[in-house]
Amino acid sequence: MQSETSVVVVEDDPASADVLQRRLQANGMSVSVGRTGGDGLALIRELHPDLVLLDVGLPDTDGYDVCLQVKSDSATADIPVIFLSARGDVFDKVRGLSCGASDYLTKPFHPAELLARVDAVLSQSRRVRGPRLSKPAEVARIGRPTAIVALADAARRERAEQILGPKFEIIPIGAEGRAVDLLVVDADASVASQMGSEGPTVLRVAPAGAPASPDTVVLNDELARIADLAVREHQLGRDVDAAADALIALAMAFESHDRATAGHSERVAGRAVAIAKALGLDSQTCQNIRVGALLRDIGNTKLPLGLVRSRGEITAAERKQIEQHPALGQELLAPFRPLARLLPIVRSHHEHLDGSGYPDGLKAPQIPLEVRIVAVADRYEALRIARPDRPAMSGDAAVQILQQSVQRGELDAAVVAALAAGVRGHDRGEATGS
Amino acid sequence: MTSEMQADRSVQSESVPRHEDRFIASEELARLVMRTAGSHLQLAQDDRPYQWSTTAYCDTYDWGIYRAAEAGKALRLRFREYHRTRPDEAFTSARLWLELKEDTIDMSRKERFEISGDAVPAFLRGETTLTDGASGLGQKAAELVRAGARPVVVTQYNRLAYAAPGDRIRITADHNLIYLAVPWTTNADDSVPIRIGPILSRETDVVIEMKWVGELPNWAEELHGYLRERAPADRPSKFVVAMRHLLGEAKKS
Repeated sequence: MQSETSVVVVEDDPASADVLQRRLQANGMSVSVGRTGGDGLALIRELHPDLVLLDVGLPDTDGYDVCLQVKSDSATADIPVIFLSARGDVFDKVRGLSCGASDYLTKPFHPAELLARVDAVLSQSRRVRGPRLSKPAEVARIGRPTAIVALADAARRERAEQILGPKFEIIPIGAEGRAVDLLVVDADASVASQMGSEGPTVLRVAPAGAPASPDTVVLNDELARIADLAVREHQLGRDVDAAADALIALAMAFESHDRATAGHSERVAGRAVAIAKALGLDSQTCQNIRVGALLRDIGNTKLPLGLVRSRGEITAAERKQIEQHPALGQELLAPFRPLARLLPIVRSHHEHLDGSGYPDGLKAPQIPLEVRIVAVADRYEALRIARPDRPAMSGDAAVQILQQSVQRGELDAAVVAALAAGVRGHDRGEATGS
Repeated sequence: MTSEMQADRSVQSESVPRHEDRFIASEELARLVMRTAGSHLQLAQDDRPYQWSTTAYCDTYDWGIYRAAEAGKALRLRFREYHRTRPDEAFTSARLWLELKEDTIDMSRKERFEISGDAVPAFLRGETTLTDGASGLGQKAAELVRAGARPVVVTQYNRLAYAAPGDRIRITADHNLIYLAVPWTTNADDSVPIRIGPILSRETDVVIEMKWVGELPNWAEELHGYLRERAPADRPSKFVVAMRHLLGEAKKS
């Protein structure tokens, strides 16, 4: 059964909002109303509706700005927006559409026209979006792997289901509580972001008549074999992740004996992933960053315990020894080949863009983005902890210190900007109680 | 091996010094100004009046271009492209403009070179030389490239532009101005387009720019005076504002 269409209406005029709400509800839609741009944005972020109807004239901002904010946030960018406005100049319409809106309707409008445009926009939006799947259910996996075939064309969908049937249990789209191993979609379908690395294997099928590409497979008898291999490879990846989790547990156990640093790596990893998401990195890269951040200091386990936990003055020789921990960490993990992707983070997270870091004195072009992200998260979280020589810093103060490092050429400017945006957002959330 | 790029003088002949003033105006004031401009000048893009401009600005690792721009004298190296709707990537176009803009305290000059988006990394590696004739801007740009210039900030905005024939006077209103950072790690990587963001800041008002060569006609002189009375005219350039946000120096703005 198709779920109810949800619509957020952003309209400051109560009478207009009421008419819209009743009209849409009468047509089977659930409607939430925001009276200001700020309220509307909060509703859109919270509800992730199927459609937004947006007035241009709002008390706190204008509809163009709200639309831009919706379209520039990767979490909401796929939600279609229709402007409703009394401003009927061609410039206003062109401006609204160029902000990313799907349509622009001039007030007063006939209800039939509104509903026709809503239907047109929704059908277009559903055509290009992949199915929304619930997160994998926590149930024991028994029997054949499961697959959902979400091809738009009914004949192709049926053919794919026939080919996959012998190896996979085919389940319908939207089946609640079922874990999905394989998702088969059209080449141009977008797949909901929550699926990530924890989600199913996604197989993209090339359009009819088109050859296979690095990202797509052809709909023929080979599909079942390719799908089977892809699902097994995905499972292997999960097993590697499980092994990494065991290493992380060891590293955390080492860290937890020191009250000053307990939990630090988890905070660094969380912060690094938040930065990576703000920079638009994909879920696999975010996962690498998370694990790399958790294991970045594993080389400390090869240093004398007293030296690692020392909080007082250290000699130049001791400093040199501590600065070996990234290289020691790399030595420790290098034999474990599936974790090779993490080695740059482990070895280089104390490097600076201007070459003043350690252990190799790398310069900017040699330092990958993932490493830069972990370096910034590490420095930020370190500043937030009290030390014998200084108190813990506030988020804003720590960001300012990092911005000074950017000015000196040590840290990546875009990465620190992403951190700052996250810290500002968190502070705003705390201030408003949200 | 290096290749050569010729300045496109048929599109821009701005190596002639021109005057430029920038104002920050409310939406209401901007509408008034553009209505006046529209009664004297032609719409510069009749079919796409609200196209999006996406401009990626470069700087060196010591922020030399920004520091010089703060001092009022800099050669800016930027890549500009145009789209019907706002892209979340830069260097997506088959055709974009590499622009060299040199500002002094009261004059500016500019050279534009047509380039494809996927040729940007090669240019930044110094594999393309610019043939720019008398202005010498191409040679100065080559020095910036040797110093490691790479994209650091992006601005995006809707520009409404009115211009006189030959661009002797040009009045623009930039709405929805957004400043963004660019995660660009190395010029050695040829993979473009690149995703842009995070957003550094947004401009709630409208940036009005008046640019002209020689004397202003009476109506424009009056409009200029009207704007000077009602809108702050010491507005720094978009590049400077974006860089202040990027480096945490926005309190200067």
